[in-house]
Amino acid sequence: MSVYKHIYRAYSGKVTPVWTRVLVLARYGFAEAWSSKITIGLFTLCLLPPIVSLIGIYLANNPLARALMGGQGPQTVTIDARFFLVALQVQSWFALALASWIAPRLITFDLADNALPILLSHPISRFGYVLGKFLALFASLSVVTWAPCLLLFAYQGYSSPLPWAAANLRIAAGLLAGALIWIAFLSMLGLALSSWVKWRVVATGAIFAAVFVPAGVGAIVTGVLRTKWGFLLNIPFMMSTLWQRLLGAPESARARFSLPTEAIAAMLILACCLCVAMLHARIRAREVVRG
Amino acid sequence: MGIVDLNGLEVRLGNRIVLDGLTGSLQGQAIGLLGPNGAGKSTLINTLLGFHPPSRGTARVFGLDSQRDRARVRGAIGYMPENDSFIGNLSGVRFVRFMAELAGLPAAEALERAHEALFYVGLGEVRYRKVNTYSLGMKQLVKLAQALAHGPRLLILDEPTNGLDPMARQRMIQLIKEIRKEGSVRLLISSHLLRDIDETCDEVLILKNGRIAALCNIEEERRSNRSFMELETVGATEKFSVGIRGLGCECACFPGGRIELVIPDHIEARDLYVIASEQGVQIRRMNRRRDSLEDIFLRAMENEMGRTAHVGV
Repeated sequence: MSVYKHIYRAYSGKVTPVWTRVLVLARYGFAEAWSSKITIGLFTLCLLPPIVSLIGIYLANNPLARALMGGQGPQTVTIDARFFLVALQVQSWFALALASWIAPRLITFDLADNALPILLSHPISRFGYVLGKFLALFASLSVVTWAPCLLLFAYQGYSSPLPWAAANLRIAAGLLAGALIWIAFLSMLGLALSSWVKWRVVATGAIFAAVFVPAGVGAIVTGVLRTKWGFLLNIPFMMSTLWQRLLGAPESARARFSLPTEAIAAMLILACCLCVAMLHARIRAREVVRG
Repeated sequence: MGIVDLNGLEVRLGNRIVLDGLTGSLQGQAIGLLGPNGAGKSTLINTLLGFHPPSRGTARVFGLDSQRDRARVRGAIGYMPENDSFIGNLSGVRFVRFMAELAGLPAAEALERAHEALFYVGLGEVRYRKVNTYSLGMKQLVKLAQALAHGPRLLILDEPTNGLDPMARQRMIQLIKEIRKEGSVRLLISSHLLRDIDETCDEVLILKNGRIAALCNIEEERRSNRSFMELETVGATEKFSVGIRGLGCECACFPGGRIELVIPDHIEARDLYVIASEQGVQIRRMNRRRDSLEDIFLRAMENEMGRTAHVGV
């Protein structure tokens, strides 16, 4: 082919390795996600809490600022595990909003336009397709979760007159692990639900519903049966417990409602397996009518 | 080694056998895939692309197993699906570039080839418009552009003229002919329209009920079949027909001096004129007719079981 000659020309150049095709999907998915003004708006909103936290850290570590505030001590804002727990929780719930907006854009558009036959006719497997979309969503959520939280941690380490960072490395590890677990789970959930719904708005609602409706059911189970195991359906509760333990912050739940970490992990793994099964059933080049 | 080699290929979808023991080697420059609805044409294409695993037997493309070497097979194939299949939210050039990058072209080359492919199929002026704003004909062309952009060795076109108006259809057929003429790409074209296959293909695979009803080179098949001739004569028609039977022709006489003949290969029209001259018969009209693709298709449909013996494997 040639733009000027309008004749077909075979391609004889180099070809990229097969494994990089996943990154092509991720790159285009990422671009698609961030092409929306609503995504940019949500992202801007997600940056506001870290800015507030940043100011809090500045005030806590700056003697002049403390003097201007009336000579109060550093107790005004205590920078500890609890502070970072709040930062992580706020960012994580913003990440849910972002995921519920982005995930349907990544999958629902492809399903609505029946793009899977054409996409999967290229050297990319179904697993590769899902992985590419997963990476796009995971990267987008990383920008608003562990990345700003670790930047806050780094700034606190830099601002503190004491060797604070070295003494609190567990907080950094907890922030990273807690955020990674949450955004991996959110990405799986978002993609799985989006793959079953062709309407983007419905998919967005379904993602929120999948997080909060079971929590209500879990509360009913807990109340009626007087058992703590109903909280295993309560994703916000489970994640808060997990984050508190990862960061070493004091637990807010009463001891009799406290869930074992193993049970929380098993529940999250089970939910991810369910998401994988949903994706396996839906991400196909061709629907096969059994009979 | 053919372009596509089928060896006892059986594909089951659920409990239904959709392809039943297909064996054959497709070797033409442009291969037509014909058959009534439900014959298994699309399933065969999907199997070649690795979408359906064979329950028995194998399908090979350029010697590569369609299941085991799926990625390499797909890399060598450009696929234009029958139904609408695109990413409507992307512009034409971005969509084709995306597909070319997925096929393995580096980003810069993919962009260059995307522009070229879109100009080649005639969408150069609208390449920056979103695909979901394209007309049906343009969507068909953008699917062709994405199938061509990475320079495949085998181009699979599933109903390429589906839903096109006569002008757009002619343009599509012309493009297919040009690609075929260029020679570096083999074509596998599935269509319900015998005329499309007749115009573009040199080999045809006819499927019926998941079995091969015929696999032949269209030109060779035409040549190997008997030639039919219609004559309009004036004079002693009966005596003339006895004379031409003596040459080894089968013939039938009709009122008004009309004669229909089936003539063997070694008989020329000149031989008929010689007999007519000897017997004082005037030949007013002579019409020679060879098998059309329609004849080949209909015969294959009628004699599906018997035709498998004719399969050129």
